[in-house]
Amino acid sequence: MNTLAWWLISAQFHSRRTATWLSMLAIALGVALGYAIHLINQAALADFARAMHRVQGEPDAVLAARDSAGSVPLAIVNQLAADPTVALVAPVIETRVRVAESLPAVRLIGVDLFSAGGLMPKLLPRPAEGATIADWLTGGVYVSPTVLARSDLRVGAPITLRRGDRLWTTRIAGDLPAMANEDLLLVADIAWVQEHFGPSDAVSEARILLEPDSAPAEWRRHTAQRLPAGLLLREADDDSARVSNLSRAYRVNLNVLALVALLTSAFLVFATQLTAVAQRSTHFAVLGVIGLSPRRRLLQILLEGLAIGFPGALLGLLMGYALAVAFTQLLGGDLGGGFFSGGVPLIRPTLTATLAFCFLGALTSVAGAIYPAYLNRRQPLAQALKIGFSPTPTGEAAHDHRRLKRLAALSLSAVALSHAPPLFELPLAGYAAIAVLLLIGIDAAPLLTHRLFSAGASLPLPATQRIALQNVAQAPLMAQVAASGLIVSFALTASMVIMVSSFRVAVDHWLDEVLPAPIYLRSKGTPLPPEVLSALRQADAPFVKVEGTAHGTLTLDPRRPDVGLIVREIDRQHPAQRLPLTGRLATPPDDRLPVVWISEALQEIYGIHPGQLLRLPLLGRDVELFVGGVWRDYSRQFGALVISRDDYQRLGGEFQANDLALWPRAGQEASAMTWLTAHTDRHGLRVSTVGEIRDLSLAIFDKSFAVTYALEAAAMLIGLFGLAVTLATSVWLRSREWATLGALGFDRRMLSRAVMLEGALIAVIGLLIGLACGVAIGAVLTHVVNPQAFHWRMPLIVPWSRLLVGAVLTLAAALLASRHAARQATRLPLAQILASGQ
Amino acid sequence: MLTVCGLTKRHANAHRAVFRSLELAVGAGEVVALVGESGIGKSTFLNCIAGLETADAGQILIGQPEKDIVTLDETARAALRAREIGFVFQAFHILPTLTVGQNIAVPLLLGRAPPATHPARIAELLEQVGLSGFAERWPATLSGGELQRVAIARALVHRPSLILADEPTGNLDPRTADEVMSLLLDQVRRQRAGALVVTHSRHVASRCDRMLTMAGDGLR
Repeated sequence: MNTLAWWLISAQFHSRRTATWLSMLAIALGVALGYAIHLINQAALADFARAMHRVQGEPDAVLAARDSAGSVPLAIVNQLAADPTVALVAPVIETRVRVAESLPAVRLIGVDLFSAGGLMPKLLPRPAEGATIADWLTGGVYVSPTVLARSDLRVGAPITLRRGDRLWTTRIAGDLPAMANEDLLLVADIAWVQEHFGPSDAVSEARILLEPDSAPAEWRRHTAQRLPAGLLLREADDDSARVSNLSRAYRVNLNVLALVALLTSAFLVFATQLTAVAQRSTHFAVLGVIGLSPRRRLLQILLEGLAIGFPGALLGLLMGYALAVAFTQLLGGDLGGGFFSGGVPLIRPTLTATLAFCFLGALTSVAGAIYPAYLNRRQPLAQALKIGFSPTPTGEAAHDHRRLKRLAALSLSAVALSHAPPLFELPLAGYAAIAVLLLIGIDAAPLLTHRLFSAGASLPLPATQRIALQNVAQAPLMAQVAASGLIVSFALTASMVIMVSSFRVAVDHWLDEVLPAPIYLRSKGTPLPPEVLSALRQADAPFVKVEGTAHGTLTLDPRRPDVGLIVREIDRQHPAQRLPLTGRLATPPDDRLPVVWISEALQEIYGIHPGQLLRLPLLGRDVELFVGGVWRDYSRQFGALVISRDDYQRLGGEFQANDLALWPRAGQEASAMTWLTAHTDRHGLRVSTVGEIRDLSLAIFDKSFAVTYALEAAAMLIGLFGLAVTLATSVWLRSREWATLGALGFDRRMLSRAVMLEGALIAVIGLLIGLACGVAIGAVLTHVVNPQAFHWRMPLIVPWSRLLVGAVLTLAAALLASRHAARQATRLPLAQILASGQ
Repeated sequence: MLTVCGLTKRHANAHRAVFRSLELAVGAGEVVALVGESGIGKSTFLNCIAGLETADAGQILIGQPEKDIVTLDETARAALRAREIGFVFQAFHILPTLTVGQNIAVPLLLGRAPPATHPARIAELLEQVGLSGFAERWPATLSGGELQRVAIARALVHRPSLILADEPTGNLDPRTADEVMSLLLDQVRRQRAGALVVTHSRHVASRCDRMLTMAGDGLR
C-alpha cells in the first residue's frame, strides 16, 4: 500500500470513527457467528468420529445386517475368516441394557478378547486388582468411566443388567480406561453375551482387518457380491460420513444464516463507504485533478473496505473462537438440531477454515465497497469540484426504464432459481434465489422512494413534513443506502418468522394426526416387557384399545443415514386412520403382497413412488413390497417406511413393540395413568399423555430454532446501525441546506423533526420492501429450501399480525436510531456554515 | 508550455458551442490572464486544458515532449496532470483530513521523485510561500490566505510546466489577494512554468504578463 493510500485510510478512520467501528464490528459479528457455528459443528463431528474409532477401531471393512432386527450368521463370519486376504475377523454382539435408574439404556458390547486386541485395542478392559481371565470368561462386565461416574456402580461390585423384563446379575470385573467421558458402554466376553442375549448362531457385526498387501476397496466390492441380500459390507469411514450427512443440511442452513449476518454487515460497509464517497467527493475530485488516476480512486475505496474487513474478520475469528468454547462448555456440541448430544467436544481451529473465514470477512467488506468505489471512479471531476457528490438522479425516464428492465430480469432469475433442483443435495439454487430477491428489494428502493414521495411532496403539508418528504424523494440514492440494511435484515427476519410459523402450524397439525391416543407408553431401545403387555391384555386393564408400534432401522445406502422401519398395528385397507397421508393411495395388485407406506423424505431421497414394487433388505433377505402411499413425517429427516404388523409377521418377522398407544375407558383416564405407573415403574418405562408429548415436541421444535433468533436479532441490529450511520452522514452532507433552512426560519425543533421524519420515511420504505421480500423469501424457504434440505413440506402461512407488530417495533427502533442524526442537525453551527460556504 | 489549437466544446445536450476554434499559446515563465463574463466558458476552457472535460475538436499540447491531452484516455490524462500541471482553486480545496505537509506532498507521491527527497522539497516550498513550520498544522487552523498559500505550494511542489488557476483570489480580501497573487507570480516565474489565470478581477489580470478576454467569438 503506498503512502497516500495509507494517509487517506487513516484520515478516513479518524474522521468517521463511529461508522468505521460499527462496520468493523458488524463484519466481526458475521464472521464470529459463522466461525463459531463451523467450529462447534466440526468439533462435534470430530468428537463423534473419535468416539466411533474408539469403539470400532480402524477395520478395513465392517460386515453388518441392513435391517436393525437382523444379524450376521456365524457361518458367513467363518467363511470370511477362511479368506486368505483376511488377516483378522473380530465378531461383535451389541445390545442395549439398563444398569441404573440414573442412566439411559447403555450399549453392551460382546467381543472376543483375542481378536479385539488386534482390531479394537481401546475396547480392551483393565481388570480390577486380583481379577483373572476366568472373570472375563464367566461373565465379568467391564464398565466405561462415565457409567461409573454417573451411577453408584463400583469396580468389584455386583451389577444387574436388565433388558425387557429379564434380569441378569453379574459383577464388574474392571473398567475401560481408553474410553472417553461421553462413552456410555459395557464390554463383556462375546460368548457370555451371546448365551444371555442371543442370537445363538449369529453376531451383530464382524469387523475385518485385511492383509497389509491387499486392496481393501477391491476386496469389499468383490466380497459384497457374494453376500446374502440382508447383509452389507461397508467401510469403517462410512459411519462418519453417515453422521456428517445426517447433520449436513442443518449445518449448511445454520452457516447460511450466519452468512446472512455477514451479508447484512456488507450492507453496513456499503452504507459507510457510499456515504464516505459522498462526503469526500470534492476531496477525491481534487486528488483527481492533481493526478490520482480513476483506477486508483476506485482502488482507494476498495482498500478502505479491506481495511475495515480484515481487522473486522480477525476480531470476528477471536470472538467466534471464544463463542464456540463458551457454547460447548455451557451447552455441549449440539446447536439445536439434536444430532450431537452428550459430551463437551474440544474446539480445534484448523488453519484452512480460519483462513477461509478471515478471507470471507475481508471479501464481504470489499464487496460492500464495490459500488461506492465504482461511483467514486465515475464521479465527473469538474462537477464534483463545483457541487460535490452527484449520484445519477432517479426519475429520468431512461434511467427508470433501465431499472425496470433490470428488476424484471432479476425477478425472472429468482423464479428460475427457485424452481431449480438441489445441487449436491443442497438447496444452493434456493439460497441464490434468496440473494437475488434481496437484490431486487434494494434495487427497487430508489424507484419506489421517488415515486411514492414525489407525489406526497406536492401535497399541502406543513413545512417540516414537506421538507422531509422532498428530501427523501429527491435523494433516493441516500434513501436506498440508508434503507438497504433495513431491507435485508427485515426481509430475512420476516422470512424466518414466516417459515418457522408455517412449520410450527404444520407440526402442530401433524402431531394431531400422528398421536391419536390419549396416552403413550414408550421404551427406548429395548422391547416392552412381556409382563406389561400381558397385564394390558387382561380384562381388568382400564383400556378399551391398545396399539403397538415397533421401531427399527434399515440401511439402504451405507453412506446415508439409516431409514426408519416402523411396524404398526394398522389396517392396511385404511392407512389414513393412522398415517397423515399425502397424495393418492395405490392399491396392491395382489392382496398377499406386503404393503409399505413411505415418508415424503424417503420418496424424495430414493425416488420411490406409490404403486411401485420395491425390493428391500428386510429380515435378512430381499423382500418384495408394494408402495401403498406417501405420508408426512417431520421426525425422521432421512426417511421412514411403515409396514403393518400383520404383513411383517406374515414375512416371518417377530413383532416386539417399543411403543404403545393406549385409549383408556371413558371416565377412567386418571385411574388408567395410576394403573400404568404401577405396572411400568420398575421397568423404567416412560408413560406420557398426548399433551405432554405435544408440549415436549413443540418445546424441542422451539429450541431447535433458538439459534436462528439470535442470528436474526444480530441482523436487525446491524440494519438499524446502517440506518443511523447513513442518516447522520446525510445530515452532515446537507449541513448547508439545513443552515439555509435555519436562516429561513426553521427553528432547531423543526430541523430535528424533519430529520426524524426522514428517518421514519426511509424506515417505512425499508420495512415495506423488506416485508414484500420477506414474504417472497419465506415462500422460498418453505417451498424450496425446507423440502430440498430437509424433505419437509408444509403449507405457507404468513402471520401478518406478528409481522406488523415486528414492523411497528422496528419503525420505533428506527426513529430512535434517527434521534442521533436529528440531534446532530440541531447542533450544527448554522451561522458558521452559512458564513464559510461549506 | 501550453498550445491550444482550434479548440471547440459543445454543451452535452445541445448543438450550441460553448466556445469554438480557440487558439492560445503560453510560454515558459509567462502568466496569461483570462477574463470574461460569467457563463462565457472560461472555467470550461480551463477544465478542457486540464483534461477534466473533453473537447469536441482541436488540440491541447502540454509538456515536454508535447502531448495532446484531447487524445488521451482518462488514466493518461491523470498521469499528464500529475507530471505537468499544477492547479490552484478559488475555494482552496485543501484536504482537511491531511496536514499541511501531507497536502503539499500529494503531487510528489503521485510523481516519480524519490521519497527521501520529499521532506526537503516540502520544507523548501513552505519557506517560499511564507509558511515555514506549518507542515504539521491542520488546515482547519489556517486562515483563507494561508490556505491559498498552501494551495500554491501544492501546485508547484512537483515542478509542473503549467499552472492553471481558477479565480485564485476570489475568496480573499483585497490585501490578502494581492499578497497571494504576488506569491503566485513570483513562484511561477521562478520555476519557469507557464500559467493561465482565470479571473474576474481586472486588477489581478493587470498584474499578469498578458490578458485575454473570452467572448462569444473567441479569445481576444
